[in-house]
Amino acid sequence: MSQGTAGRVAPKLVATSRQRPLISGDRLFRAIAYGAAALIMLIAAVFIVALFIPALPAITKFGLGFFVSRTWDPVRVQFGALPAIYGTLVTSAIALLIAFPVGMGAALFLAEDARLRLLRGPLSFAIELLAGIPSVVIGLWAFFILTPLMRDNVDPFLKQTLGFLPFFQGSASGYGFLTAGVVLAIMVLPIMIALSRDVIRAVPLALREASLALGATDAETIWSVVLPYARVGITGAVLLSLGRALGETIAVTMVIGNRPEISASLFSTGYTLPSVIANEFTEAVGNVYLGALFYLGLVLVVITIVVNVLARLLVWRFTGSEPTAA
Amino acid sequence: MKRALIALFGGAIVLAGCGGNTAATNPSTGSANLPTPPGASLTGAGATFPQPFYAAAFFAYNKKFSQVTVNYQAVGSGAGIQQLTKKTVDFGASDVPLKSSEADAMGGSDKVVQLAGTLGTESLAYNLQGVGGGQLKLTPDTIAGIFLGMIKKWNDPALKADNSGISLPDQDIHVVHRSDGSGTTYIFSDYLSSVSSEWASKVGRGKSVSWPVGQGASGNAAVATTIKQTPGAIGYVELAYVLQTNMTQATLKNKDGNFVLPSAAGATAAAKQFAGASPSQFSIVNAPGRDSAPISGYSWLMLYKDQANKARGTAMVDLFYWLVTDGQQYATNLHYAALPGNMVSYDLAVLKSVTSGGTTLLSISS
Repeated sequence: MSQGTAGRVAPKLVATSRQRPLISGDRLFRAIAYGAAALIMLIAAVFIVALFIPALPAITKFGLGFFVSRTWDPVRVQFGALPAIYGTLVTSAIALLIAFPVGMGAALFLAEDARLRLLRGPLSFAIELLAGIPSVVIGLWAFFILTPLMRDNVDPFLKQTLGFLPFFQGSASGYGFLTAGVVLAIMVLPIMIALSRDVIRAVPLALREASLALGATDAETIWSVVLPYARVGITGAVLLSLGRALGETIAVTMVIGNRPEISASLFSTGYTLPSVIANEFTEAVGNVYLGALFYLGLVLVVITIVVNVLARLLVWRFTGSEPTAA
Repeated sequence: MKRALIALFGGAIVLAGCGGNTAATNPSTGSANLPTPPGASLTGAGATFPQPFYAAAFFAYNKKFSQVTVNYQAVGSGAGIQQLTKKTVDFGASDVPLKSSEADAMGGSDKVVQLAGTLGTESLAYNLQGVGGGQLKLTPDTIAGIFLGMIKKWNDPALKADNSGISLPDQDIHVVHRSDGSGTTYIFSDYLSSVSSEWASKVGRGKSVSWPVGQGASGNAAVATTIKQTPGAIGYVELAYVLQTNMTQATLKNKDGNFVLPSAAGATAAAKQFAGASPSQFSIVNAPGRDSAPISGYSWLMLYKDQANKARGTAMVDLFYWLVTDGQQYATNLHYAALPGNMVSYDLAVLKSVTSGGTTLLSISS
């Protein structure tokens, strides 16, 4: 997550230290820094191994079929991850679809609009507040307030207006993909806004002035100068948001309905990878059952890595330079 | 949390006004010959279902014998069994007795003993406009039909046939079940398996099952709240939650054909029907008998037969001796059922078999 900053700082450090001979303080500092870096690598490796070993009974039993099986039957000890993978990806996608436009709007307002300076303080404060609310509290709010609201107001409205789409059909209980996606959107918004605001602010003033001097309007400047310049940083903000959405557990568990189901309808109940693990690990008796939960954990890690790599490749293609995550 | 508080207060009140309410205890085991335990700090871990009762009872025991403190962690049966296997706790608790593979991990089924600590029953709670508590009548067939997803509407002919007195709306039935693994789910799926061959073959019994229909919520409290705020919802909830949160619950038809409202007394009546109940024959669902509550089950305590530490072992068997006799008075206040006499006798025989270095630890002769 912080490779970005480290990546930016490290070359400078190396460059200055090469210019003059190393004194013992520098050497010590370098040793500490290298040690810390190595420790992180070690922790990551140990973590993967520690997930892999308990997952082995399930891996040997189900193999790669685990990824495509829709069964989750503890009684017959048959497990598949597809519904949970589907639920994880769908809820995260909904979260980003909602959070991205809202987040960009708020970030641009905070970074660009000087006229409503009075509002900036309260808005920044609200974002930090939102970021600081523990997820279980957001889950409580969603469980008691949001689900009835979705069931009685939002879902019927969507059904009425967009009901011709397969996403908005079927009976709505208030629990399911859409509600979970909305909760996730609320949870990733602070990250999205704060990071985007910072990268937009970091766009050099000279570029903006040049654009304005050429006769571009504010909107044109934002659209064709500021946003393209900040594209890589914004991608990083989206990636971090996605990481949070993929792994969020408790708030999603409280509203998604916890049912291993694959349905095009966003009103349908579903399940996510972290929710299955959180729900079932206390009573998961037997090596294969517990192994299946660890296997789900591995799948989640793999999905997170794949999503990160894909997004990085995307950025590389667009910019031709190494992206920084944040 | 709320329930735990109620449990503590309930325990304190009972203690303050305490008489000798020896609910369903063996007459030969009055409080007069209650053994005085050695000082010990005991830890246990396991099922969440009996936690409020154990919390209240262990609190009361500590008031009686301040040298014994008991720390019970409701981390779930599976985690409790694992901790007992690793010997990080003195006793474990589970709503389902040990499987042979679990006992083997502890050194074999002759190395560990199990006794019933309490008894509970489940209700079917619902949220239906205009249909009050106890008004809805459910039979084994309609319950199985609803949870198999075959009865989808509240005005289904099968439901109407049993409920001629009330008007059932043309509304979707919204099934709510536990999403976390739980003894509550085991007992309910055990019940469905015993009344419906289709459930037995399609789904079966377990702490987590593959539900044909409905949505999951984590814990009794979340199931209860989901039902309360979802029109048309129905789900299985422990009796205590139903009563403490004033939910509307259905009247259930038991094996003898009587419609009964689930109650602690009904659970004891059901348990009495199974005189030979033991950890290997623990199922008491769908009991015969006029007053039997059909969805009932024991909750079990487990400890090693040979205790390494004599003082701790003695304190533990003394504690459990009290728990299954005098301690049962704390059960009924919290809507758990008192253990029937046959199970108390079984428990006492089990406790007598616990030894340390070849010496029997329980000093009671009854």
